[in-house]
Amino acid sequence: MTAMCDVSFLLLTFFILTAKFKPEELVAVNIPGARSQKQFTDAITLLVNKEGKAYIELGESKTRYQMLDQMIEKYGDKYPGIKTLTENQKNYFSKIETWGTPMEDMPRVLAMNGTELQAYQKKMPGIPLDSANNQLCDWVQAARYATGGDIKIAIKSDKDTNIQPVKEIVKGLTSRDIHRFLLVTSLTGGGGGAPEPEPTDDKKPAK
Amino acid sequence: MAEIDTSGGGGKHKGGVRSKKMSTRVDLTPMVDLAFLLITFFMLTTTLSKPHAMQLNMPKKPEKEDEKQEVGDCQVLNILIDTLDQVWTYEGLQVAGLQKTNFATDGSGIEKVIKDMMVKVPNKCPLTSKGAKRDAIVLIKMLHGARYQNMVDILNEMDITGCKIYAIQEPDPIEVEAVENGGTVKTFNKDVVKEEEK
Repeated sequence: MTAMCDVSFLLLTFFILTAKFKPEELVAVNIPGARSQKQFTDAITLLVNKEGKAYIELGESKTRYQMLDQMIEKYGDKYPGIKTLTENQKNYFSKIETWGTPMEDMPRVLAMNGTELQAYQKKMPGIPLDSANNQLCDWVQAARYATGGDIKIAIKSDKDTNIQPVKEIVKGLTSRDIHRFLLVTSLTGGGGGAPEPEPTDDKKPAK
Repeated sequence: MAEIDTSGGGGKHKGGVRSKKMSTRVDLTPMVDLAFLLITFFMLTTTLSKPHAMQLNMPKKPEKEDEKQEVGDCQVLNILIDTLDQVWTYEGLQVAGLQKTNFATDGSGIEKVIKDMMVKVPNKCPLTSKGAKRDAIVLIKMLHGARYQNMVDILNEMDITGCKIYAIQEPDPIEVEAVENGGTVKTFNKDVVKEEEK
């Protein structure tokens, strides 16, 4: 009987250790409710808070490293400071799951030590997403390039954000040939019933 | 069940003071039960933390002209979402006859309007050039002050009513003006009228 006890404790320890903790919510987002029961895993999440500032959250650290390389290539000429990022700093970046730094600030942020970074993370300025300087959509494109186009894109926005930033994001993504996204919602309302209909890829109706 | 015996080697005193030795056998069954409960809890919760999401598919820009769907004036329901969470609807491609409604949860607001349209269109609209019945098409326009919650609400309504053909578009200046004037259309859309007269 003690053997069984031992086995059960071993199993318990295994599950405790393999259960991943939810990443600490650095950006307060109050998501809207919807009837959708679809769940998803492994997506690049674009967080938009109430003020319309955008941040990116991605669980996979290898992809983050590759994304940074891509972004350095793209924005290296515009902001020469980022070309000087060292290997250590890039590894430091790949450890951060949620970030909201515009490219021009990247060298300064990656030079911060642990406590400074934590303080900074509480009030990050957000990634620019206006049409002239759409760094957010460039990050998404870098992620797609790094994963061979397989990554899902989730938009997690506060229910009270103005529709403008979200419209900009959707516009930016469709212009980069990305047409399918997920909108993160919390489950409410009458669940069950008819299965969720897939909206067709309809063409723009002639007006 | 598993036991721990801590009673020691008692009972060999002959004569002398005999203290009352209580047998201390601990039954470990509840501990193992708890362990199994905890295991089951962790097994289940490691898979339950996936966030819920709603799929949004934006239409691709058609490259050839003939790929554009035939859209008849009678199929189209336009939904304009205003800054104050008011919902205006009008049918057809011409901005006229705006009706005000809301996101009532009991199915009397926008849900009713969409459902009515979905029932009306296959029966009342002329058949397509291929002889098929038409379906209702919903065009959703969010005005500049609307909130993200409204966008999710309207997509939720699309899901609830089962409407499959919908598109999110930029609002027309005529529509913005009409909503600002409380639903009265001041500028007449001459281009659309000309096409209908042909």
